[in-house]
Amino acid sequence: MKVCVGQVTLPGDEFDMSPLESNKKIVVGPGLAEFEGMIKIIKPGILRYREPATYWIDSHQKRYVANKGDLVVGIVTQKVGDIFRVDIGSSEQASLSYLSFEGATKRNRPDVKIGDIVYANVLVANKDMEAELVCIDSDGHSNGLGVIRSGGFLFQSSLHLVRKLLNPNCVLQKTLGKTFEFETAIGMNGRIWVRAQSDIQTITMANAILASEHMNNVQIETMCKKLCKVASKMD
Amino acid sequence: MRETPLSNCEREFILKCIAQHKRLDGRSAYDYRDIRIAFGVSLGCCHVELGKTRVLAQVSCEVGQPKQTRPHDGVLFVNVEMSPMACPSFEAGRQSEEGVELSRLMERCLKESRCMDLESLCIVAGEKAWHIRVDIHVLNHEGNILDCASIAAISALAHFRRPDVTVQGEEIRIHSMEDRTPVPLSIHHFPLLVSFTFFSQGKHMLVDPSEKEEKVMEGKMVIGMNKHREICTLQVTGQMLLLKEQVLRCSNIAVTKVTVITELIFQALENDKQARLKGEKHGFAELVSGEKITSNKQPVTDVPVSQAMEESEEDGSSSMDSDSEESESFTQHASEERKVEILAKGVGMIGDGGPSKWIDLTCDDDHAESKKSTKFKPELIELDGESSEEECQVVLDAS
Amino acid sequence: MAAAFIVVRKEDLEAQQNAESCQTLRCLTSELGCLTRSDGSVSFSQGDTTVLAVSYGPAEVRINQEQYDKATVEVVYKPKVGLPRPIDRKREAILKSTLEAAIVTSLHPRSSISIIIQETEDLGSNMACCINAACLALLDAAVHMAFMVAAVAVSVMEDGQIKLDPNKKEELEGRATLTFVFDSADLKVVSVVTSGTFSQEEYKKSIDLTRLAAERVFQFYRDSLSKKLMQSI
Repeated sequence: MKVCVGQVTLPGDEFDMSPLESNKKIVVGPGLAEFEGMIKIIKPGILRYREPATYWIDSHQKRYVANKGDLVVGIVTQKVGDIFRVDIGSSEQASLSYLSFEGATKRNRPDVKIGDIVYANVLVANKDMEAELVCIDSDGHSNGLGVIRSGGFLFQSSLHLVRKLLNPNCVLQKTLGKTFEFETAIGMNGRIWVRAQSDIQTITMANAILASEHMNNVQIETMCKKLCKVASKMD
Repeated sequence: MRETPLSNCEREFILKCIAQHKRLDGRSAYDYRDIRIAFGVSLGCCHVELGKTRVLAQVSCEVGQPKQTRPHDGVLFVNVEMSPMACPSFEAGRQSEEGVELSRLMERCLKESRCMDLESLCIVAGEKAWHIRVDIHVLNHEGNILDCASIAAISALAHFRRPDVTVQGEEIRIHSMEDRTPVPLSIHHFPLLVSFTFFSQGKHMLVDPSEKEEKVMEGKMVIGMNKHREICTLQVTGQMLLLKEQVLRCSNIAVTKVTVITELIFQALENDKQARLKGEKHGFAELVSGEKITSNKQPVTDVPVSQAMEESEEDGSSSMDSDSEESESFTQHASEERKVEILAKGVGMIGDGGPSKWIDLTCDDDHAESKKSTKFKPELIELDGESSEEECQVVLDAS
Repeated sequence: MAAAFIVVRKEDLEAQQNAESCQTLRCLTSELGCLTRSDGSVSFSQGDTTVLAVSYGPAEVRINQEQYDKATVEVVYKPKVGLPRPIDRKREAILKSTLEAAIVTSLHPRSSISIIIQETEDLGSNMACCINAACLALLDAAVHMAFMVAAVAVSVMEDGQIKLDPNKKEELEGRATLTFVFDSADLKVVSVVTSGTFSQEEYKKSIDLTRLAAERVFQFYRDSLSKKLMQSI
């Protein structure tokens, strides 16, 4: 079966090249692969297109596969010599050097304990190697990355829900922001950390985010209104 | 497989909420999650949902020798299976410490409470007796497997029917289902387990803990009780000390919970019985409603036999041959059409937002070099160090 | 080990009587993502035969099973009654080789893709149901696959009549049961599981009949996933 942009695709479907001019150079992203001279779909999802010539499959999944440049929320599980082992939800634990924190030197070690959560950037991601994380940008500034140790709550959602939240068209955060003051760290690995002004608000936020998985913008707005009302009564 | 570790942040938040008498799912301390009891098409098959925790119990029977020490009794065997289906940290085929504890508690609940009349399972004293086996499969672990398993096990036992047996002198006849209506097991009472979890030196107590709450608890007390307010089992685990009042208060809570759940089991059994009598659809397949977006239903579809026959006749040869022909034509077809050539594997970024980060750079891809047509010089694309997933740049070539 | 009893229903008997004129594929139902702890899960049923399947992947692999160039595919089949028997191990092996053909294992070296299948109600065509459920579980987890697989079973009755998607009674009465697995790209046979004796002619007939039925199963996959995936902003 041939598929075009916006359609639901399933593995084994064939990417329809006929509308493209010949000799056109295209970029194929996740979910598409070349098989015997044809581009085939290898993941269930929706075929997406972005200018100038990028195609990829937007799929629903829970398992994270490390990708270079992703911002992720990890849990420190071990200290081994100079590095921390961090669980980011992928098939392997990632490594995080103690030097890749803002202001860290050999003398001035960062204060990281086992079980802490870190908001980090994936520096190296390769299917053949373990992923490496950093909590600084190329200038050595933290830029919001680092250990999160100011209360709040961490929970797991699916990867597409995270992408949905980060989509500028999604109204969830804006709607919640009208009633609550909150701080969040959204990891591409499906982990979301939230802290609102009170615990009830934090719980409400977590529930609102998880409930919005299969909702559209209108439904999200009504759901948020209802939840906010209940939460404000409880406070 | 490794389970996601619990972070300090979650632990602190959950404990803080419990101290403020709040729970993450909005329940109050003594609330159970919703319980759903369903029975399968086969007898003695029960599926229980406690919130999102799911347990399946199946009862089966066979004729065997009674135990030498108890020649007049049948045998009840309880087996708890925890597969990685329920939770990634469970291992298939190997019982964890948690699994052993669960099995033992279930055995104590069902066997040692003498809820079943084992004497009625005896066929010939000392020689033949029914062996009843309860297999409990944990399907999804979202906390409080124990209570869920005990509901499933006792409901399955109550739902089960064993074949009727007649003994005439030396001859033992086991009647088939069609021959004689199978007989239910005689169950005296319905023992149910109720778990209580304790936090901050027993200061706070919760009923029906969720998975996260179980991870941060200090200790647990399990009370096995029937609706006649008789305690069948009591177990305390964990590092905490309890006061007499606390134990009494828990048993009082257990009384109300057990009464409600027993009522629910009777209701479910009655509903199933009615559905079977009326010949209505029953079983697990009926549980799936087509209304949810994650579920789907395709009614019975007809597959025209004639079409299948015609096709095979048209082909003339066997379908194996037609397969190979097809594949030949398929490859030809492909070669006539445009070809895809991979120029380079690259790296793409999606998480960071903003414009795409695919950049151009020189590369010497042998594959592209050898295959490329003369009129087309491949543009060379950068490899940003490592290729992460399966992103690659390709060219459509009209050769 | 005596299995749990099976109750034959009135509808099943009626359906059997009507079977001669047209072959039917029983009602298919699926519920994707029904379990919360796994990466992909499905409760799948064909008629009254229901199976629960979950998949994890690409996940951590045990060190002794690690392969440096591809992912390790693991299949666990759990019978409803008793411990896994040799026949269940065989079933696992068939499932493993079938699914290995479909999964693009080279994309995730040094990881595992595991599938766990729990029998919940075996009322005929259990093997086919397991394969279909496993495929749906992999689709739900969005594991990379080169193609999808669909299995359909037939029973060859004593009189040579071929019954599509047999129920338990037909399976027991039949002379042979054949399960064919097709791929979604060209509807070619991926694997065949047979038991009992049958002629070459019956085999050919079965293959053509099941291929048609497999198309319906693929359509069902497409419908189920479209319903789930189309819900995004």
